[in-house]
Amino acid sequence: MADMLQVAHREIKMGFRNPWAYSFLALLCTFSLGLLLINSQNVVQGYSAVTGSMLSLILYLLPLMTLFLGSFSLTSEKEEGSWQLLSTYPIGTMSFILGKYTGLAVVLLIIVATGYGLMGMISGLIGMAFDSATYFLLLAFSAGLVLLFLTVALFIGSLSRNRWQALTVSVSVWFFTIIGWPTFLIAILGLMPYLWIKPLLVALTILNPAELVRLFVVIKLGGGSVLGPEYYQWVEWIGRSTGSLLFMLVCLAWILISILAVYRIWERGRSRG
Amino acid sequence: MIPSINTNNTGTLRILILMLFSLFLMYPASCGTVSANPNPEVISLQPIIDAANNGDSITLAPGTYLGPVHIDKRLTINGEGRATLLNSYPDAEVAVLISADDAKLKGLNIQQDNGGEAAAIRVEADQVTLEDLSIHTAGFGIVLREANDCVIANNKIRWFTPKGAASGTRGNGIDLYNSQGTNIRANEISYLRDGIYLENSRNTKVDQNRLYYLRYAIHCMYINGSSISNNIGEYNITGAMVMGVKDVVVSGNSFRKQSQNVHSQGILLYDVSTSSIVNNLVEGNRVGIYMQQSSDNTLQNNLVLRNYIGIQFEGAGGNQFQRNGFIANVIEAHATGSKNNQMNGNYWDSFEGLDITGDGISDLPYAINPFYQQLITKNAAYQLFFQSPGMTFLSDMYTNGKAQWSTDPTPLMQLQLDKATQGQASGGQGLVMLVGLLLLFVSVITIIYMGVLRL
Repeated sequence: MADMLQVAHREIKMGFRNPWAYSFLALLCTFSLGLLLINSQNVVQGYSAVTGSMLSLILYLLPLMTLFLGSFSLTSEKEEGSWQLLSTYPIGTMSFILGKYTGLAVVLLIIVATGYGLMGMISGLIGMAFDSATYFLLLAFSAGLVLLFLTVALFIGSLSRNRWQALTVSVSVWFFTIIGWPTFLIAILGLMPYLWIKPLLVALTILNPAELVRLFVVIKLGGGSVLGPEYYQWVEWIGRSTGSLLFMLVCLAWILISILAVYRIWERGRSRG
Repeated sequence: MIPSINTNNTGTLRILILMLFSLFLMYPASCGTVSANPNPEVISLQPIIDAANNGDSITLAPGTYLGPVHIDKRLTINGEGRATLLNSYPDAEVAVLISADDAKLKGLNIQQDNGGEAAAIRVEADQVTLEDLSIHTAGFGIVLREANDCVIANNKIRWFTPKGAASGTRGNGIDLYNSQGTNIRANEISYLRDGIYLENSRNTKVDQNRLYYLRYAIHCMYINGSSISNNIGEYNITGAMVMGVKDVVVSGNSFRKQSQNVHSQGILLYDVSTSSIVNNLVEGNRVGIYMQQSSDNTLQNNLVLRNYIGIQFEGAGGNQFQRNGFIANVIEAHATGSKNNQMNGNYWDSFEGLDITGDGISDLPYAINPFYQQLITKNAAYQLFFQSPGMTFLSDMYTNGKAQWSTDPTPLMQLQLDKATQGQASGGQGLVMLVGLLLLFVSVITIIYMGVLRL
């Protein structure tokens, strides 16, 4: 535990001395404020074009930022040799991974919090109608996105040998999960028997953190009815308070399984030197 | 509590005597009871009606009266808002049955405990007036059958479950069948099945009604020549469901917040022709205006705000579609199988127009991309991709057969808003600002402490 906190503390310090973190911070603030000012005439409440475009912006930006910062942090451990050094100390691989995850999560969440803090403050200053429930949902959406994509980032960082590899893989994963997702799914599922499509679609959606979190927030914003009668029971279920609990459990399972997998990769690398 | 009676007719005297007599009979009984009982005196209303003559005007004293009653004379019955008619006989399907032309019922509270097909008021006569009534019903509210030229105004109708009874099926608030020329004005209807249900009833006027928490606020079919205007509907499954009609006017209505059901919409037009749908406001619905199999209609000056899907055309052709405003809808428009619509001069807020000539009209056309709708028609499971960033990306790449898409060749660059689109500011602004400040403060402190200071 103490080891983990040490690693996390070091990670946070490294994170905030990393110019990348600040460039993403600036990017997030600029874009969210731009969006806020464009929509300053509209009420930000429920599922509408305003919240829809905010969701899209967050979906474009946050996963990319998380994948870069997360995977680079792990590859730099290998590239700079600090992992080789750490391996000689009596520090558990799990403490190392968990510390890395926690530290990076804190850095990313602080970046997100700064963006939202600025957004909340400015919207208050210009007297814009920003529904508080919608604000908190968007904040939770961003936090969930960051936490889930961070595990993917750790994966990429573990499997890549250097930063360049991590960069390439990160961009392709980002493109696949955010932009290309419907295209790939529609193409592949078109080959399947008709009755398989819905269950496969649901299963694959749970595997894609971006879609999982997006759909949860759309339903929580009250937009569940756009998904149509096919998902009526799901929408009703998630709309209740137990739905949030289930969603959190799914996210937790996602994070735990991924961290365990990352742990195995590092443990194997350590034992083989 | 003495009933006052307009003494312009000799018959009224007899009623007075009769009512006084009945009061006299009951008085000792109620005198002995403690005043905890809110309705100590219950008067049967039918004998009063039976005693009255054609053309009489009866003003009921405050109190509780017992139904069911059958009004078979040209009477005016006024409860002045303080008389209540109660129908709790399980056998009585109708609390008030009106079978006399020109009868008037005013200011009466009616409670119909029977559910199912039972109605609070059933009218089977012409030129009947029902005004200022307050109706609580476990079944239907006001039912008109073969009743022409009636007036139903300023009534409040809501559904309730009688004490100790299981909640039954909801009936309709105002239900017309084969009743022409009725004027339905300024009623407030809530928690029932359909607010105003019109079938085979031509030339009906539905004006300024307020309709909340219903299945369909206004549900009508085969009502040629009717008008539905200035009504307000909120939190219903569907605002106005207009089917199988010609020459109907739907104007000035406001249908909002109908988004919770997977079949929700503001205004649904099915098999509607040569009608005009103008000046309506649809806001925050799942689908603002849904138009199916409808042709030769005029849709003008409607304001479509903050819906998930602004307007949806399916097999709707030959309609005039002009000067409508689309603002802050998640998806503005869907159109499949809808050709030959005259679409021009609408305002689409997400459209980046280009106005070279400076006449306020974009020189680039606005085309409705049918990709997503075609996709979900093939398999509804793909609705999971609604407005996913990847879906937007894929739709934008799809330009197959663009010449056949529904297109607005002259979209407006700006919309002059004359309707109240603002002022729906929700509370919690202060909270957002406070939390924002707090988040910013904590973040900046952390960044400075962890990153900037070399401790």
